Amino acid sequence: MLTRIQAIAEEARLAARAILEFGSHLLHPTVRLGVTGLSGAGKTVFITALVHDLMHGARLPLFEPLASGRIARARLEPQPDDAVPRFEYERHVDALVKNRAWPESTRRVSELRLVVEYQSLSGADRTLTLDIVDYPGEWLLDLPLLAMSYREWSAQALKLSYEEPRRRLASRWHAHLAALDPEAGEDEQAALTAAKLFTDYLRACRDARYALSLLPPGRFLMPGERAGAPAFTFAPLALGGAEPPAKGSLRAMMERRFEAYKGFVVRPFFHEHFARLDRQVVLVDALAALNAGPAAVKDLEATLAAILGCFRPGRWTLGSALMRPRIDRILFAATKADHLHHSSHDRLERILAGMTEQAIGHAKFSGARIDVAALAAVRATREATVARGRERLPSIIGVPAAGEAAGTEVFDGSTEIAAFPGDLPEDSGALVAGAEPFRGLSAGPAREADYRFLRFRPPPLEPTGTGTGSVTLPHIRLDRALQFLLGDRFI
Amino acid sequence: MTNMTSRHRKPAAFRLDDPDVVLAPAQAEGRAGAGAAAGGSIVVTPAPEPALPAAAPAPPAPSRRRFPFGTLFWSALGGLIVLGLGLLGTQLVEGLFARAEWLGILGAACGTLTLAALLAILAREVFGLARLKNIEKLQVRAQAALATDDRQEARAIVRDLIAFERSEPRLARARAMLASHVEEIIDGADLIRLAERELMGPLDEEARRSVAAAAKRVSVVTAISPRALVDMLFVLVNAILLVRRLADLYGGRPGLLGLIRLFRHVVAHLALTGGMAAGDSLIQQMLGHGIAAKLSARLGEGVLNGLLTARLGLAAIEVARPLPFAALPRPLLGDLAADLIARRKPDDGVPASEQS
Repeated sequence: MLTRIQAIAEEARLAARAILEFGSHLLHPTVRLGVTGLSGAGKTVFITALVHDLMHGARLPLFEPLASGRIARARLEPQPDDAVPRFEYERHVDALVKNRAWPESTRRVSELRLVVEYQSLSGADRTLTLDIVDYPGEWLLDLPLLAMSYREWSAQALKLSYEEPRRRLASRWHAHLAALDPEAGEDEQAALTAAKLFTDYLRACRDARYALSLLPPGRFLMPGERAGAPAFTFAPLALGGAEPPAKGSLRAMMERRFEAYKGFVVRPFFHEHFARLDRQVVLVDALAALNAGPAAVKDLEATLAAILGCFRPGRWTLGSALMRPRIDRILFAATKADHLHHSSHDRLERILAGMTEQAIGHAKFSGARIDVAALAAVRATREATVARGRERLPSIIGVPAAGEAAGTEVFDGSTEIAAFPGDLPEDSGALVAGAEPFRGLSAGPAREADYRFLRFRPPPLEPTGTGTGSVTLPHIRLDRALQFLLGDRFI
Repeated sequence: MTNMTSRHRKPAAFRLDDPDVVLAPAQAEGRAGAGAAAGGSIVVTPAPEPALPAAAPAPPAPSRRRFPFGTLFWSALGGLIVLGLGLLGTQLVEGLFARAEWLGILGAACGTLTLAALLAILAREVFGLARLKNIEKLQVRAQAALATDDRQEARAIVRDLIAFERSEPRLARARAMLASHVEEIIDGADLIRLAERELMGPLDEEARRSVAAAAKRVSVVTAISPRALVDMLFVLVNAILLVRRLADLYGGRPGLLGLIRLFRHVVAHLALTGGMAAGDSLIQQMLGHGIAAKLSARLGEGVLNGLLTARLGLAAIEVARPLPFAALPRPLLGDLAADLIARRKPDDGVPASEQS
């Protein structure tokens, strides 16, 4: 009953804000672009490249408004939400250009507003405001929790933790859990230990060798400033029957904290950033999962399905704009396409489409437009053909990041190599469903793995003039992505 | 899965500073590894920087609105003429009724039939024009999609194309095959090329045969006709029939207006490409003509007329074809001219079908 009322109240709040925003958008057309992706998918790089390319008029031949010269200029403006930090665009570009380093992992929400001045096809001068939000990808994992009770979440988390390869990593937490009685009295120390062991297990799963992604709650991995608060100190318990918990029991305490976590942490995040998007790009790092093995691929698939279930796709109508904002275009993008030879891009796209099949079907049914693309917002490599004996390997040339290893070799971050990552399968279904799944890093020694996608450093970029503004960032299909996401708003 | 493991190649990494690795100069992919014998066992050939795709064409700007006085004039004039004709008709029928009732009824019936037939003809003309317009639009869109590699647009084009060629029974299989590929993830330009190979391939073959046959007919008739007037007429009629057959073949069904429009485009196309074609075929043409003319003036004239017809046919193919030539080779005058000058050899097995 309570949850019903809560849900109705939420809808009312969203609708009220939608009406307010609709009014202001009539005067200043605005697009809220959601850049979604799990941690490591490349959200920050995507946003940085997008802003840089729009502001400095990069080579985007397929982004019609820019290519045909209709975009006069784009400038940064103070963002609308005063409480949210600003997206540090300048610092990220500096890091890319001067240090040849990727931006570090995002730790908090940040926002940026870009105002684009353009001339419409009929010749009228217009502006379009683009609001973009960046946030830690881990937080996304929390969205599916909104629809779950503590009991459901516990059961799911436990079931998952008994599957390979998680079972190995969760053994210490499992031992602690076995000694814990959910119906015993409240015990802060027990809760602290359980939460710590549970978090350690989640961290271990995230290691590049396993690259698992279905690891809620996400703030345990990236707690921000509230680490240690009671709302962050809970863990799943092995629960028996369906009877309500006794007052003062450990289980009641955990349940309360779980609800508090949802109420204080997850719901505000959802409201502030997800319930009001117009366009959405979902960035997926499929290559890390392919590196790790079939378990990681399956995990990624399940995570994407759960997250995308939280979106509200649908055709734009006046009613929807007033009452319930909907996302009318979604682009699924396999990032880091530069880590592959272009002849494999089609296959990468097919793999991604296979992974997000459910979500695509759902969004299509609701009337939203969908596209899938393999892209690289900043292209770090060149392509090459390696002739070894009679073999011709379609490869890429780049400088791997320090500490990356292939076979027996560990790179120091300054050697240039040509890498062939392994042939992607023609049929994406064969990846996980086949009788003989491929081997990843999680299955055994690195030299037996079927795929090895190295992480490359950003390319050397030469400014043609003064300052970082004159640098042109190379990319793969970023222009096509922009055309799909924003092209129609510049008509 | 087994076939994947059998074809799956293991990942590999090669340090460029390794003495075994030779870095070849950048070149096109096809010739990669040509220098394998030069030294080390592993040759790395960087691909040349890919050419940037052409910029996306801007959607046509809405033209500045000017009041269409010209249209108004012609519409009003047309209205007046139609009214006048109607008046004449009714007066005629009334006059007939005044003479005798049965005459009046006969006149009214004839008038109604005339009107109905006229409407049907008009409808067919409009339909034919719409189809031609459709072809032109498809050509333009396909050209743009090839340049921009836009998948959504390419899918829409291929769907439209399948719908457009629905009535062509020879393409049933190709259509089904293509329809099953539309939803797959193929790059936009590749999808268009696939459609061209599947749908246009068989039609191109047929079109080439038609053009060759027409050219041959023209050259033979010119060579043996007794009067210049006869072969001029023959060339004209043949050209009209050829353009019409080609349009039919590619799915346009032009009526009279459609044919006029088509002819205009063909001539425009000839004028446009005439300069370019001169480079590659004029010499050949003159040479053929020259040698033939040495043998006999009539024969030389026949060859020239045949070549001109072939040229017209090729231009008509370009205009009537819903997709631009991208994946398949553009038919060249040379292919047809060889056929034309060689005439019929004794071992030529297909003269019957060419006469169809």
